[in-house]
Amino acid sequence: MNLPLLLLFGFAILLVLLLAWVLRDPRTPPQPGVDLDAEDPDRRHVTYFPQVRQAMAAEDSAFLASRASQALTRRVRRERRKIALAYLACLRSDFLKLWRLARVIASMAPQVGAAQELERLRLGLAFSWRYEMIRLKFLLGFAPLPELGSLSEVVSRLSIRLETTMKDLGERAALAAKLASSLEGRGLDTP
Amino acid sequence: MGSFHPYVRVLWACSALLQLIVLILLFAKGGFRKLAFFTVYVALNLCQVAFLVFVYSIWGPQSTKGGILAWCSECVTLLAQALATTEILKVTLRPYQGIWGLAWRALAFTSALVILIVALATHGVWAVATWFELNRGYHLTFAAAVIACLLLVRYYSIPVPAAYKMILGGFCLYSCTEILIHTVLETLAKKWFDAYEPFWQSAPTLSFVVVQFIWVAALWKPLPIEVRKAPPPSNSVYQRLSPEINERLRELNEKLLRIWKLEAHPQ
Repeated sequence: MNLPLLLLFGFAILLVLLLAWVLRDPRTPPQPGVDLDAEDPDRRHVTYFPQVRQAMAAEDSAFLASRASQALTRRVRRERRKIALAYLACLRSDFLKLWRLARVIASMAPQVGAAQELERLRLGLAFSWRYEMIRLKFLLGFAPLPELGSLSEVVSRLSIRLETTMKDLGERAALAAKLASSLEGRGLDTP
Repeated sequence: MGSFHPYVRVLWACSALLQLIVLILLFAKGGFRKLAFFTVYVALNLCQVAFLVFVYSIWGPQSTKGGILAWCSECVTLLAQALATTEILKVTLRPYQGIWGLAWRALAFTSALVILIVALATHGVWAVATWFELNRGYHLTFAAAVIACLLLVRYYSIPVPAAYKMILGGFCLYSCTEILIHTVLETLAKKWFDAYEPFWQSAPTLSFVVVQFIWVAALWKPLPIEVRKAPPPSNSVYQRLSPEINERLRELNEKLLRIWKLEAHPQ
């Protein structure tokens, strides 16, 4: 088999795999505009940043190192790193929720800008890549917590703006559903 | 028809029977109203079976005239296949005007790209088996374009009714198996064509029979009633928010990048 044929064969296999992936049901059934109210700001993980920062404070670590045994200090450091990692994961989950909401807005728009959408896709992929890199950095023992704080701010600002819009869209959807059910009640449903 | 192996003829008969069942289901369950092009495609396939039986009975499968007529009939059904697929995608994406606009562009871009790749990959061998290459090139372009659209649909979490998913999946599966079979056979047939001829005759039909089973299952229940969607928000919502969201996401990425570049330092 020569190279072009080998490439064709590989491409066909890739298509079959992509087809299988694209046709399987997503883990959470997507219902644009339905679960928008679930984006409760009080439950968002970024709001817990002050507590996390407190838990990771360097002063605490210094105090502990001066008073406690080395084994205990190491254990506390390990546990704090776990907390930071969990926090980072939650932050990512917040980001993904907001990213999904942005896609819902796009899916409901009568006109979608390809450039905007490609840019968002690129940003999402870049975020995922960097998140993994930072996670690795945490696992290796670094703790860039001040930057985590500003990260949280960005997510918070974005979420507040989106919540307002989502609420508006949710109200529109409810109104449309009400209108549709009243029409169906009168037997005006189309086949 | 005499030069075909008996099991190839059995497969042909099975395929024709299943196509007939699909057509009956489309009319019985009212699917033909929603999927007019798909109904035409299935009907054309049945007509093609009859046409091929007629052509091969007169000229035989090995004759040049018979081969040209068979490939011409294939062109008609392939065109109908493309139209039927576009119709299903359009029905699915009708409530999402913006995404449909994007899907169109994705279809055009992917098709152009794959045609270019196929032309480059098969450069120089076109004169040897033009029909063969054209057929494989079509299936490659078709499968890539439809999968690109399905990826877009998945990315935007647009719900696709199971029946439509199965029909589209069937089309893609058939195209992918055609590419695989033709590519493998192109390598094997160069030396041992006679040994692999029955396989070449039966494998595509077998994969089409599998696809027909999938379609029968998809059309067994009536096609879903179109769900009324919320009136689309004015375009200004998207125009206003989209750049802002992207700006925030970009900012977030920059923060992440800064964390990544940071060296460990005590707080």
